[in-house]
Amino acid sequence: MKGLPTIRARLSMALIAVSLAWGAAVSIVVWVTVRHEVDELMDTTLQESAEILYGLLQAGDRRWLTETGGALAATPHDEHLVWQVVGADGQVLARSYRAPAEALNRATTRGWADAGDAWRVFSLPFVSDGRMLYVAQASAERREARLEVAEYTAGGALLVGLLCALWLRSRVAVELDPITEMSVSVDRFEPGGAAADLPLPQRGELVPMHRAIVDLARRLSQRIANERAFAAHAAHALRTPLAGMVMQLAVAQRLAAGPVRLHLDQTREAADRLQRVVTALLTMFRSGSEPRLRTAHLRDLLGHVRFGQMQVSVEADATLRIDPDLMAAALMNLLDNASRLGATRTVVSFHAPTQSIRVTDDGPSMTEAKRDDLQSAINDQDYEDRTGLGLMLADLVARAHGGHLYLRPMARGCVVEIHLGDTQDRLTASEPGGEVHSTRLSTDHDGA
Amino acid sequence: MRLLLLEDDRILGEGLRAYLSSEGHVVDWCQRLAEIIALRNEPYDVMLIDWQLPDGSGLDWVRSIRAHGVTTPVLILTARDLLSDRVRGLDTGADDYIVKPFDPEELAARIRAVRRRVAGAATSVLSFGPVEIDMAARIAWVGGTDAELTSREWALVEALALRAGRYVAKPDLEALMLGMDGEVSSNALEVHVSNIRRKLGRDFIETARGMGYRVVT
Repeated sequence: MKGLPTIRARLSMALIAVSLAWGAAVSIVVWVTVRHEVDELMDTTLQESAEILYGLLQAGDRRWLTETGGALAATPHDEHLVWQVVGADGQVLARSYRAPAEALNRATTRGWADAGDAWRVFSLPFVSDGRMLYVAQASAERREARLEVAEYTAGGALLVGLLCALWLRSRVAVELDPITEMSVSVDRFEPGGAAADLPLPQRGELVPMHRAIVDLARRLSQRIANERAFAAHAAHALRTPLAGMVMQLAVAQRLAAGPVRLHLDQTREAADRLQRVVTALLTMFRSGSEPRLRTAHLRDLLGHVRFGQMQVSVEADATLRIDPDLMAAALMNLLDNASRLGATRTVVSFHAPTQSIRVTDDGPSMTEAKRDDLQSAINDQDYEDRTGLGLMLADLVARAHGGHLYLRPMARGCVVEIHLGDTQDRLTASEPGGEVHSTRLSTDHDGA
Repeated sequence: MRLLLLEDDRILGEGLRAYLSSEGHVVDWCQRLAEIIALRNEPYDVMLIDWQLPDGSGLDWVRSIRAHGVTTPVLILTARDLLSDRVRGLDTGADDYIVKPFDPEELAARIRAVRRRVAGAATSVLSFGPVEIDMAARIAWVGGTDAELTSREWALVEALALRAGRYVAKPDLEALMLGMDGEVSSNALEVHVSNIRRKLGRDFIETARGMGYRVVT
């Protein structure tokens, strides 16, 4: 399930996006508001400064206003506010240290004006002689003030947003923990188990899911019980008549002679095959997908087998950790395949380096295209119309053991490998030094 | 060997009886539990018991005869193939367990094996002085020469060899003969024993009045 988005990741991304958008929106709103307020504050400050200056100029000695005509003497310094006293003729009569020599404004009435992009000016006329007092603030300084306000506001909003996003992300992780815990519980929960085996969830939202899982497990359990009961009945109904048929044939083989005996031998061969298929199917059906792993010898899996004229031998016997019933069923069907396809000798061996059981026969080999097609069908578990029962059963058994089935190229005959996956942790070779040991299980069948 | 077969399926039961008879065994075949109650103390060599029967459980019957001290080897024949079933069957007192369908040859081999285990023999070839008996091949040799026993003689030799050293009562051996021939003349047993002695040596079978016959180990 790699590549699927997680709820945690999606919520985290959503939270970060929302936080950024929220921070940006707050920044804009605050900036607009603050800009308005800052402008108003600066204008008010400018106006009140002008009023104070006007009062001082009216009340004080005004001769220097007409005498100086220039900037007031002062030590070098910066000014946030500049002022000018301008005569009725537009001549600057007096100005502050940083005020320009040219009149800031032409207005002759009280009020606000912008002198280009450079100054914000408040004009105040002297009542007695037509002079004007201009008090101004640099537009650049006002922009700088506004920008600083905007920067700090946006920065603060974004910081708060991100902190909130991080906090919410950690909360999301905490809130999703019950789902993880429930997944672990469900993983351990067996369909046949009691409802109490699945602990109640810690969040109300998970209660319906818990209820649904328990209900599903109950239905599944019931279905498994039904199938087991059916399989038990089917096993009895199939096995006993089949045993009777095989037994009657064995007796008839002993009594018959001549051509009848030949036909009976062939019928017995077919009955033996039917017996193996039925056994394999019942084993697979009743075992389900859970192998019952036990220690077993490879050689023991093939005791008492007979496949017509085909000779079967076990080489490199080993002690394996397998489900003996399933593996025996798989091997029987692979051997049956080899026998039907005309093999005269088949070797079953354990190959330690690949942890696999190999069935090698000397029957007709298959073309590369045919082998590729079969392997592809096995890999995709697309058995219908593409593989026979033997390969399908062997593949299902291999998969039940955590492994795979492989068809190996061979100049003559066929090699089928059942890889056993990681079930072989406790595997031990039963032949010291890895010696190859061969045991003949059945000789050429002469019908006896 | 004298075998008790409890199998309710007619086709399988008839087939088993015919096949095992052709192997030289005497088979008493019952289809119901009720039929074998009276046979509980018969001297069978091996009992072949089906688990599921119309009138009860074969396994319960095995349990009951074990509780009464009957030690005759029991081989369970059943369609129940689960591991738990096999364990249960063997733990109940069965000596072997074979799942249907089975090869007749395998069944015959298992019958010989359980009987051999009871007799304490490690292999299928038993030796009594110059006489060697191959229980699997059903051949007796004297000094390496095939004694060429008839099927009735073989049945007697087998029954005595599997109980080597112990006396086997005359009625038990007559019951074995009866199972093979349907009717037994009054001196048939003596005739067969005489023939066996002629073929395997006079000292092979020992007679004790009132006790029966035995093979001297």
